[in-house]
Order: sequence, then C-alpha cells, then structure tokens
Amino acid sequence: MREDTSTQKRRLPYFNKTDLLQLFLRGRVFLALIIVSAVFALLSPGFLSVTNIIIISKHVAINALLGIGMTFVILSGGIDLSVGSIVGLSAMIAGGLINEGIQMNTLGIILFPHTWMVIIITLIVGIIMGAINGLVITRFKVAPFIATLGMLYVARGLAGLRNNGYTFSNLVGKPEFGNTGFDRLGAGSFLGVNYSIWIMVVFALVAYFVSKRLPFGRHVYAIGGNRRTAELSGVRVNRTETIVYMISGFCSAMVGLIIASQLVAAHPATGEAFELTAIAAVVLGGTSLMGGRGSIGGTIIGAFVIGVLVDGLVVLGFSTFLQNVIKGIVIVGAIVIDQVQLRIQERIILQKQELNL
Amino acid sequence: MKKFLLIVFVTVLITTVSSLGIFAQEGAKTIAVIVPPVENPFFGTMQEIAAAKAEELGYKTIKLVHDDDANKQMELFETVIAQGVAAIILDNAGADATVAAVQKAKDAGIGCFLVDREITKEGVAVSQIISNNYQGATILAEYFAELMNEEGKYVELTGKDTDTNAHIRSQGYHDVLDQIPGMEMVAQQTANWSQTEGYSVMETILQQHPDIKGVICGNDTMALGAQAALLTAGRDDVICVGFDGSDDAIESILKGELKATSLQPVAEMATQAAIQADLWIRTGSTGKPEKQSIDMVLITPENADQYEKFAPKPQKKD
Repeated sequence: MREDTSTQKRRLPYFNKTDLLQLFLRGRVFLALIIVSAVFALLSPGFLSVTNIIIISKHVAINALLGIGMTFVILSGGIDLSVGSIVGLSAMIAGGLINEGIQMNTLGIILFPHTWMVIIITLIVGIIMGAINGLVITRFKVAPFIATLGMLYVARGLAGLRNNGYTFSNLVGKPEFGNTGFDRLGAGSFLGVNYSIWIMVVFALVAYFVSKRLPFGRHVYAIGGNRRTAELSGVRVNRTETIVYMISGFCSAMVGLIIASQLVAAHPATGEAFELTAIAAVVLGGTSLMGGRGSIGGTIIGAFVIGVLVDGLVVLGFSTFLQNVIKGIVIVGAIVIDQVQLRIQERIILQKQELNL
Repeated sequence: MKKFLLIVFVTVLITTVSSLGIFAQEGAKTIAVIVPPVENPFFGTMQEIAAAKAEELGYKTIKLVHDDDANKQMELFETVIAQGVAAIILDNAGADATVAAVQKAKDAGIGCFLVDREITKEGVAVSQIISNNYQGATILAEYFAELMNEEGKYVELTGKDTDTNAHIRSQGYHDVLDQIPGMEMVAQQTANWSQTEGYSVMETILQQHPDIKGVICGNDTMALGAQAALLTAGRDDVICVGFDGSDDAIESILKGELKATSLQPVAEMATQAAIQADLWIRTGSTGKPEKQSIDMVLITPENADQYEKFAPKPQKKD
C-alpha cells in the first residue's frame, strides 16, 4: 500500500479498530487462558503457586501429547477417534511386558526385556495401530471417522483381552530380570519438573518444527486445505496421511506409558473418552475441523485452558456435572469466536482490496 | 463486540457460580470425599453422608467424583494434596490401580480412609472400612434358596469382572447354593453393574432358558434391570434378588417386584470414615485396626419399610 496512513483513516474510519479487534481475536485462546487462570488465582490463593502449576502441567501433558498427534490428523482434514483406546492398549502392552515378559512357548523360555526396550516396543505398537488406521483410510478409502471408530473398539477390546480385563499391578519389575525403573517415567523429575512435562515440551517443539519448517508439515496443511490441489501439485497424499495417523498412534502410546507408570498399574479401561478431550484441546486452540488451518502452539494453549479449568473447578469443589457444563460452554464459545474471526478477516481482506483499487 | 461479550459471559458465569459458597469458612481444615460416579445412588448417598458428618465435626469438605477412572483419581489426588487437605475419604477406582495414589497421599502426610472397596496393599491407608460382602452374599443366597423351595433353575448376573467385590459376592452365593442339590445354575453372565445391561442380558437369557425360576444379581441396579425385562416378558413369577439395599430396590421390594436384597451399611461406613478421619487428624491415631468389616442386613418384604438411605429409619413413628 503506497497511500499514507492519514488518508486511510479518513476513508475507513474504523480500520484501526478492526485491526485491534483482529489482534485480540488472534490471541483469544491465550487471553482465555490468562482470564481463566486469573479468576482461579483470585478465588483460590495458592492456585498459581509453583507446585500447583507443575501439577496442572503434569495433568495437561497427557491431553497435550494426544492433542499434538491429533493436531496433525485434523490439519490433514481427518479425525482420530482411536487415541483413547490406543492409550489403554499401550498401557496393557507395557504392563504385560514388565510383569509377564515375552513368553516363547516353543522354546520354553520367557524373555524379560529391559525397561527401555519395553518403552520402545510399546511405542512401536502405537505406531503400528496408527499405521493400520492410515492404511485403512488411504488404501480402502474408508472415511477417517469410521476407520478410527472401528479402531476405537478393536484396540479397547485387545486391551481387555490382553489380561482378561484384569489390571497389571505393581509395575516395578524385578532386579534379577533387570527390568526395574519403569515407575521412574511417571514419578521421576528433572530440575523439579516431572518427566511427563519435559516429554510434552520436547514433543511440542519437535511437532512445531515439523509442522512449520519441514516439507512434510507443509504437505499436511496442503492436504487439509485442498486434497485435490495437493495431489496435483505432487504431494504424496496417501503416504503423508498414513504418517499423520502413525504420529497420532505414537503420541497415544507415549501417553499410555506415562499413565501406566504414574499409576504403577495398567488397567484396560485406561484412557476412556480421552479422544474427546484431545479433540477439544485442538479445536480450542483454533485448528479448524475442516483441516488446513491451525497450529501446534494453539493446541498446547488449548490443552492448558482445559487443564486449568478442570483443576481449578476441582479446587473450588464444583460438582462434576457443573464442571462438564462449563467445559462444554467454553469449547463451543471458542468455536463461535473462531467463526467470527474468520468473517472479520474476510471483511478486512475485502476492505484492503477496495483500498488498492 | 459479540465475541468480547462471550468471553465476558464465560468469566462472569465462572465467578458467579463459584462465589456461591465454598469459601464461607476460612481457616477450617478440609477433608476431600472422592467416590465413583454419583449417578449410582449408592455412591451419591455415601458421599453426602460422609461429607455431612465431616462438616458436622467442623471441617470444610470437597466432594469429587473419579468416574471409575484410575488416572482421573490420581489427578484428583494430586490436586487436593497440593491444596493441603487434611484427610481423604475414598471409595476407590480399582484395588490395584489405587495403591500409587494412596501412597502419594501418605507420603504427603495425608491420611486416606477407604470405604466400601479395599486396595491390595496394607499399611498405606489409615483405615479400610468395608462391608462384609461375603457375609451379605451368604445370607442373601440362603434366603434366595428358601424362596425357590431349594430346587429349580436359576441365573446369576455378576458385576464387573475387574472388580474384586463382584468375585467375593459370587463366591458367597455359590458357597451356599452349590451345597443344595436341587439348585441348578443354567447361566452366569456379567452385566457390568449396569441397569441397561441387566435388562438386555436378561432378555437374551430368557430366550434361551424360559424355564428359569430365579435370578440372583451382584447388585441392585442389575437386578432392577433384570426385573424390568422379566416384567416386560410377563414373567412376574421369576424370583429376582439384588444386592446393596438402595432406595430404588427397597421401593421395588415394597411393590412386590424384587424379592430381597442385602443392605450395605453405607451410612455406617461413611460416618465411621468421617469420625476416624477426625480422630486421626486430632490425635494421630484412630485406635482401630486398618481393616474393619461391617456386617450387612438382609432386606425382605417384611422389614423393607424400616430402611431408607442405606440405614435404619429413625424410630420416631412407632
């Protein structure tokens, strides 16, 4: 624009105001987080103490990790309903490996893998479950909603079958098998901050880098924006989509490991309904369910808004029912604002075009 | 402006609702009461009674629900520990998966008082006050056999496989019924403690075994579901008994539908938990062993009108 600002102002008196408004809307999730935190800090002294913030972050980590995987899926225009079940399955796999080992009946021996091997095997199982999702979606052209809905049941069923519905308890391993230390993943901390929080930070940074800087990330956005165009521009759509679901499976397995380690027990019902909170965090963070628009950073902040809200309401002693009502209102409210922002953005673009004419 | 109003609306909503109380008494110590989903009146009543007793003893209370999710239970524990509660009264989310949470509270110097369900490790909780499920199951089974004249085919609906109480109750039933030669169990199915599942499972079983004489269930909600299915099928001749002694079951017994139930001494357990928590906070000891079991009462059409809210009715009317 070559015109000087004074003429702009004269011709469009509320241009600056809309500009401000847009800035405000862009940062709305962040604002919501600040407002929610401030309200709870006011109502409950000590809510923003360091220990409490660490505890909240620890709770947020679980949802945020699932949200990171889910963000890639939703950015690509898909959805993953199976994350909660994969969390449960991974917990059971890890628990079984530690308590029962790998039984090789033909050889008559039992292998007890080292703790970090348990973690790697579990993560691979998560990736495989994700890959199955991706293959069913891309090769057999099943809608993501249906494919992952199927996986929701299959993985949950497998989690139950693994130990006939029973819990694997006391997952501390035995020194003579050299598989101790699994509980440190959930209980241990570095610089006073729990491992699960560090894992969230590392995952978030890597995911941010992948989504913004790597070709893969741009491809995910492109597929979500317009699948056909992406295909015509040479993006390997099927491969990218499959990887997206593998990332989600990987994140879910990580969460399964963290929960099993924190509880020092693996229960087949672990992670029930987690997919919904993960989707809520993603959507709250401004990612469009249509795909192609959104960010990892938004998801992390979205997860924090939900986490602060849940923990805050618990501290204040709200009933679970009321907690759910408030959570629901906040999520829908955020989407309403999201839509308003889109409309305003469109208007601003139109105005700018008018100016340039 | 609309968008701004929305955020304001949400904030205002949160502030107004939260200022409705809770902060009334400053300075008092807090006891958290954490239970499974309160949709089941059993847990709702337990929570209310425990919290009411604790408040009567001069404490603030936080009432929370863990939805039978061990991870959520752990998060609730961490949150209330950070808030500095003095004690936790808990009906837990799994005998194995709860140990870590209770241990965490113990490490923070907070006493846990378990009611209704046990955990697999001793020496972590201060008290484990449980009802004598086995005794309750045997007295119920004896009465059930008596109603069936000690002969005929019957069905058993069991609770969630992952729940220790489901196994203990079933064990109690069978230790009695298997001794009676005339009693034949034709089907044993889980209905996961659920009323809806009790209904659908019963419908299916009725198709396969129309000649059954009785149904013995692991809890009241499943029994009420099964009873509804029996009534729909026009089979009000089948004897159906439950377990827990909820008000819904008692009402059904008074109507002549369910025939019996075993009453959990919920009020007694919840009150005891609050009293012992108070004692422990003030003196550092409850003066009682960790494991305490309280006997159950058989509820039949004869005595059903004398009980409500899991306790004997106050005796004023007579």
